[in-house]
Amino acid sequence: MRALGPGSVSSFLKTILDVVFVALSIGAGAGALLSLAAMVVVANPTLLDATAAADLKAQGLSGPSLIIGLAAASLYMALVLVIVGRLRRIFATLTAGDPFQPENIRRLRVIGVMLAVLEIGRYPLAALYAWLAPREAGAHASLNPTAWFAVLVVFVLAEVFREGARLRREAELTI
Amino acid sequence: MPIRVRLDRILLERRMSLSELADRVGVTVANLTILKTGKARAVRFSTLEALCRELGCQPGDIVAYEPGPSDDFDEDGTDG
Repeated sequence: MRALGPGSVSSFLKTILDVVFVALSIGAGAGALLSLAAMVVVANPTLLDATAAADLKAQGLSGPSLIIGLAAASLYMALVLVIVGRLRRIFATLTAGDPFQPENIRRLRVIGVMLAVLEIGRYPLAALYAWLAPREAGAHASLNPTAWFAVLVVFVLAEVFREGARLRREAELTI
Repeated sequence: MPIRVRLDRILLERRMSLSELADRVGVTVANLTILKTGKARAVRFSTLEALCRELGCQPGDIVAYEPGPSDDFDEDGTDG
């Protein structure tokens, strides 16, 4: 099975990325709307019925923690959306059979930066969440070597694409 | 690029058009235009051989070195 071009593995992965992109867009939008709704409810607690308020209290969730949680989830999805969006465009060039386009260098660098931002943002967010909802387990701010390895690999890949784009340009202008 | 291509001068001397040379050499007019305007990054020996054969000249008549800044690869897809 071919790796590049129409009907190849790249084109199959591009389709998957398209579906993920749409799902993430909906998720990020829904998260943003929920954050707004939570802000409205916190500002005006009478909107929440007594049972729901008691449920939240029983789970150890306060209004601010809920808003921060939802806003963080939306932001996370928005950043992942940027990554998936750039990946889609890269895979579109792979599907077209022409991967070494100069635009792919910038796309890979953006992906690298977004991965780094996601990883760096995880630490203060986990600390904040642990402070706001101490009963909730799962918020760990430990160093993730795999994530940093991935960031470095993406930046190295961007340089590989840069070299590929340079060679492609030279081949185009060789008479 | 410090390498200057003097194809237009030779064509003028030989009273030959670019499309005629392209036909004789077996290179597209678009590629020959890239070469003539100095945008080419490299010339194959086979192309140079065909050019010299059809124009009755030496490689040194087609290209010349003039000191100047080199072109580097630009990520915008152009040569700076």
